[in-house]
Amino acid sequence: MPENRKDGVKLPGGVELQDEDIYEAMKSIPGYLDITPGDFKEVYQLAYRHALERLSRDVTAREIMTREVVVVRPDTPLAEVAEIMGMQGISGVPVVDPSGQVVGVISAKDFLIHLGLAEPKNFMILVASCLKSQACVTLPIKQREAADLMSSPAVTVGPETSVKEIAAIFTAKGLNRVPVTDPEGRLLGLVSRADIVKAAMGGGAK
Amino acid sequence: MIGDYFRKMAGTTQSPPRVGLAEITWSWLGAFLGIGLVAYLNETWVEPTDLVLLIGSLGASAVLVYGAIKSPLAQPRNLVGGHLISALVGVTAYKLLSPYPWLAGALAVATSIALMHATRTLHPPGGATALIFVMGSPKLHNLGYLYVIMPVGAGVILMLLVALLVNNLSHRRRYPEFWW
Repeated sequence: MPENRKDGVKLPGGVELQDEDIYEAMKSIPGYLDITPGDFKEVYQLAYRHALERLSRDVTAREIMTREVVVVRPDTPLAEVAEIMGMQGISGVPVVDPSGQVVGVISAKDFLIHLGLAEPKNFMILVASCLKSQACVTLPIKQREAADLMSSPAVTVGPETSVKEIAAIFTAKGLNRVPVTDPEGRLLGLVSRADIVKAAMGGGAK
Repeated sequence: MIGDYFRKMAGTTQSPPRVGLAEITWSWLGAFLGIGLVAYLNETWVEPTDLVLLIGSLGASAVLVYGAIKSPLAQPRNLVGGHLISALVGVTAYKLLSPYPWLAGALAVATSIALMHATRTLHPPGGATALIFVMGSPKLHNLGYLYVIMPVGAGVILMLLVALLVNNLSHRRRYPEFWW
């Protein structure tokens, strides 16, 4: 990739590796190094990417998932679901039936979609309609329960699913979190985008 | 497309840094002793006979094995393997194509590079070793395949011995990086 050689290499923490850094490093090694700074950087870049791929292949959902997950029941009133999410500062919860099976997921996005807002359905439109009218928004979902709003069936992964596969699922399905379940569908934990970022920063297993 | 082709000729990076004075001094000393030993033996013992010990490509090897001792091109596998393979190729090319010296020379150098690549013994002076035989004097040509053993094999082993002794004298230098 000769066209990329002028660019710096990104390191964790936002540090960029430039040709001059490599040049200075080469000066501190006695003896003639039979490589140009540009070639060294290219090798470094490829090796770094290789290491990242190896790590994301090896790390599994079990190692990075959050184990203490806030959940709701299918018959939990939506007002209560919203309150739980708000108080806990989370943007999504798994919906779990009394036997422990994950039957769906509710996210803040599911609320916005069903609030009867005009397009586009996002948080600032909600604020705008509250400020404009006295009744805030019409609430067609006021008396409903979690089961009425949740995305179901939930997209779930197993504890041995690799972080790389989970990242691919997030991207393909536009998700921000995915419940981790055992073969019977019972909840073991939750992997969020933040968990993956933490693992990539070198946090590794918790 | 054409623009990309010519842009590549502008280069993308810079030359490696200049080495320190100590490295320059050690490189000088190694080359002086290595070439000195081979040239002295050649002059006093070998030259009066029909044999030869010193060939020009050893000067090129000296640059690598005393001046760029970390380079993969300078390691024993490459120094010995590259010279021996190229010597074989050079003698063979001359024997097959001596009526066409230009063709023999071109084939000898090109084939040496290909075989050194294939055997992971790339050593640039090997190309010279092959060409030197093709262009050589009648005395050299009379050696035939003996050229591979002497001067090439013997000269290279002496150079390697001096490299092992001199390149490990400084606590900041080390040779080789690998043997095989």
